[in-house]
This record gives sequence, C-alpha cells and structure tokens, in this order.
Amino acid sequence: MLNIENLHAEIDGKEILKGLSLSVNAGEVHAIMGPNGAGKSTLGYVLGGRPGYEVTEGSVTFAGEDLLEMEADARAAAGLFLGFQYPVEIPGVSNVQFLRESLNSQRRARDEKPLSGAEFLKLARAQADGLGMDMDMMKRPVNVGFSGGEKKRNEMVQMGILDPKLAILDETDSGLDIDALRIVGDGINRIMRRPDKGVILITHYQRLLDYVQPDFVHVLADGRIVRSGGKELAHELEREGYGAVAA
Amino acid sequence: MATLPTNAQEAFRWTDLAALSSAAASTRGGAADAEGYWLDIVGPRILFVDGVYAADRSTPGHVALSPLTLDTAHPLGVQASGAAGWSIDLSATKVADTVQIVHLSTGAENHLPARLTLDEDAVASVVETYVGSGWTNRLTQIDLERGARLMRSVRLLQSGGFVSIRDEAVVGEGASLVSQFLGAGGMGSRIDAQLTLDGDSAFVDYGGALLTREDQRQECAVAVRHAALNGSSRQTWRAVAADRSQASLAARVEVARGAQKTDGEQSLRGLLLQRTATVNLKPELEIFADDVKCAHGATVGELDAKALFYLRSRGVNEARAKALLTTAFVSDALDRIGDETVREAFAADADAWLEATL
Repeated sequence: MLNIENLHAEIDGKEILKGLSLSVNAGEVHAIMGPNGAGKSTLGYVLGGRPGYEVTEGSVTFAGEDLLEMEADARAAAGLFLGFQYPVEIPGVSNVQFLRESLNSQRRARDEKPLSGAEFLKLARAQADGLGMDMDMMKRPVNVGFSGGEKKRNEMVQMGILDPKLAILDETDSGLDIDALRIVGDGINRIMRRPDKGVILITHYQRLLDYVQPDFVHVLADGRIVRSGGKELAHELEREGYGAVAA
Repeated sequence: MATLPTNAQEAFRWTDLAALSSAAASTRGGAADAEGYWLDIVGPRILFVDGVYAADRSTPGHVALSPLTLDTAHPLGVQASGAAGWSIDLSATKVADTVQIVHLSTGAENHLPARLTLDEDAVASVVETYVGSGWTNRLTQIDLERGARLMRSVRLLQSGGFVSIRDEAVVGEGASLVSQFLGAGGMGSRIDAQLTLDGDSAFVDYGGALLTREDQRQECAVAVRHAALNGSSRQTWRAVAADRSQASLAARVEVARGAQKTDGEQSLRGLLLQRTATVNLKPELEIFADDVKCAHGATVGELDAKALFYLRSRGVNEARAKALLTTAFVSDALDRIGDETVREAFAADADAWLEATL
C-alpha cells in the first residue's frame, strides 16, 4: 500500500529525514516511536504534502502511484489521511461545512457523486456519535474553542467520515485523558482496523498502543528507522528508554 | 461638475478621484439591468435609473419621492442636495416593510439625496443595490428619534465607474442604527459617514466588507461620534485585496467630553490575496471622557498557511480552500446583517466575487 524508500527531506535547508525506509501493507498497523526531534512529525507532513518540506532523495509510492508528485488534496482523494498533532482552528467555517466540502471534493476528484446535505448529515451524525461528539459541536467553527481532547476526537470524526485507505496519525494520543484515550483508540480500531486499510501511528508513548495493538513497532532516531520489531518493542522502549534501545 | 476634493486633503488621500472623474466623463447608455437584484422580500421597490425615479418599474409604498434640499458641508454629498430624491418619514411606533432600492446607472454622473426620519420607536429597514457604471453619488441623512431602529444593508455591485456614498446620521436616545455594506463590484467606491450618538444609550453598528481586484480602489471613511452617555458603537470592516488593487479602511471614534460609559468597538482587518495588493488601515480614537471602553484592532495579513494546508490535507483544492477561508474572513462583517434573506444574498455576491477572483 505504502512504500517509502531511502527518504531524505529537509526544511529550511536543514535535513530532518536521512534515509528513511518503511513499507505498510493493507491490514497492518505500524507504530513509529522516537524521541523529540527524531523526525516523526516531519515524516507525517512530508507524506501529507505540506508546503515547505523538500524531498531531496528517495521515493514514496502509495497504491502504486508516486505520492510525492501529488498535491496535498490529491493525496487525500487517493485515500491518505493525516491526523494532525495540533489540529488547526478555522474561525468562520463550521465543522459540518468543512467536512462536507472535504468529502465532496474527494468524491468529485474520484468521479463519484457528491453527497447531498441530508446524506452528509446522516453520515456525520453517525460518526460523531461513535466518538461522543454531539451535533452542536459539529456545527461550531472548526476546532475553535475545542479542548485538546475535543480537537483529537474531531480528527477521528473526520477520519470516519472521509474513510481513508491509509491513516497517518501524528501524536493523536497527546493531550488526551484516560477516557478520551479509550474513545479515540476505539475509534481508530472501528474505522481503520480492516483488511483493506493501513495505519501509521506516530507516538511518544506506549499507552495508545494498549488500545490500538500495532503489528509492527519502529524506532525513529535522527531521521532514520533504527530498529523494528513487534509490539513487544514498545514495552521495551517504555522500560528502557529511547537512548538504550536506539543506540 | 462641481469642485471635487483632492488627494492632498487628508480625508481624501486614498480616494480614487481619477476613477471618479473618468466615470463622470463617461457617456450614458451603458448596458445595465435591474432584474435579478430584487430580493424575495415583501415591501416597496424603488428603481432609479441614472438618478431618475422609474415610476413604471417601482412600487413606492410608504416611500415619498420629491426634491430634497439637505444641509451638508460635505464636498461630495452637497452635490446631491436639491435634486429629486427619496424619503421615508415614519410616525411613532410604526413598523414598516423593508424597502428595496436599486440604483442603476448607465454612465456619466448622477446625484440623489435621501432622508430617513423615524419617530419614537418606529422601525424601518432598507436594502440598497448599486449596479451599472458611471459616477453614482448619494447623500443620505438619517434622523432616529428615541427608541427608533433602522436596519440598512447596501451592496455596491456596479461593474465599473464609481459609487460615492455620504451618510449623516443623528441617533437619539435608545435608538439603533445598523448599517452594513458590501463592495463586490468592479467600481471604485467611497463610503463616507458622520454618525452621531446624540441621545443616551444609543447604538450604532456600521461596517462591511470591501473586495477589490485588478486596479480597483475602494475605501470607507467613517466617523462615529459619541455625544451622550452609555452609547455603544461597533465598526467591523473587512477588506480583501487582490492583484494590484487597493482597499482602505479609515474609521474614527470620537468620545465627547461627558460621554461617559461609552462602549466603542472597532475592528479593521485586511487580507491580501497577492503581495502586489494594498490594504490601508487607519483606526482613530479621540477620547475626552475618562470612564469609557474603546476596543480597537487593526491587522493586515495573508491567508493562514496552516489553515490552508489543513483544508488541502482533507481533499479541498487550493482555489476552493482559499475561497472558504476568505469567505470566513468576510463573514465577520456580513454575518452582522440581521435579515436572513438579505444576508444570504450578500454572501452569494461575495462568493461570486471570490469564485471569479481566486
């Protein structure tokens, strides 16, 4: 599904990713863990197509296509979803409007029929319910006045509505209390734990991995994956720290 | 043409007087149509063609049509005084249907005065639409007695030429003047006002959105004077400038000696769609009372790159993402229009402008 080979990327002339390789197949959940500054968020942004991140070497293919050649919105339409560590507030645009516009833009790009207002609201209601968000929140401006946990739940509602093939979730667990962590974890499992979908969970901590069990755990340090293993690697990291494991 | 102000005068430094003169020098007979500009609202409809009342295409209702001599010192406004104009004179507690006025100009210059007088607790609303070309010059004097309320929405949609508006209002005790503007045509414009909160606890909300592109220049120059106790005023202006255009917002709040407990709020914000465009902001406060609250903000910026990427990461293409964020920016002003039909019509005009520009 996703194949990253020898990826080098820089921002403002500073190299952050230094030869990262990773393959994600359908049906797999990969966790990427690592210390601050290792390049975890950069990986998410490079895959998402954020302007300002320059790929200097390597390749990324997604569902057989050259991902790096695609605009950010085309990547979304192709089935890639980036869950933001810091979801952006957009005053003046309601969640419902934002999501309907997003979904229908993707559908048009795929030559599918846009959903009507009523069809969309039904879908939005079901996904919001699944994550404990009421429709009043869905009608409010995107993320404005939301708590950290509400913003992350909102990301999951978006993921549920957009129904991507591959989700890259950047520290979706940060800022969540225990209850919210369970709700978000359940959401990820419900929406993405499917044989035809893949997930990359970018996280500092083991705790989200108690809810969303990874098939593979990778340690990212200084722009490269330095170790890979099964879910037991996450426990080892938690016990011994990045320093010992990444060395 | 009478003597025009010059850009050397501080109050007119940003006015596109060249556009005004060239509009005035144009010839009548340009294509323009009023149809499609009437909103689905019950009430009188008045059409002026080149400043002349079109009786056969109007239903005046409670609107009177007659020559009006209005006292003003304003250099543009004074040119409209004495001409045939329109007026509304409501008696106490009378609530009148919304009046729609379409000002259609086909070229050259036309001048029209208007007077709105609302007696105690009377309520009126007016929607004005400017279409066509040429120099369209208006003077409107508003007198609101105790508890009277006027809601007014004005959209400038002339494809070219120049629209100059001069409003002079006196707002009495507990009275309310709410007036919102949208400049979304291809003309140059100047919205110029002197509004006085003359009675205690009066309220003024006067603002709007000016959208400019190509070499167009639009501006507002508004002075709100608090002359009594407990007054509140809101001035929310948004400017969006594309290409090499220029939008200028000058808004002034004056608090007279003794106008204690004044609550003035002024928010001027500009959005540059390209770095070749210009937004000028001139917020002014002049306060001669000590127990007042006057909030003011003035910023110019570009679309938020983070928000743009967020939208694009969800599948929205670049042009549409920019349109959504710009609409949101403009909605700060347009959402202040109370009537849903009017608000939606103005929002649709703004959307059409964005669609054509982005």
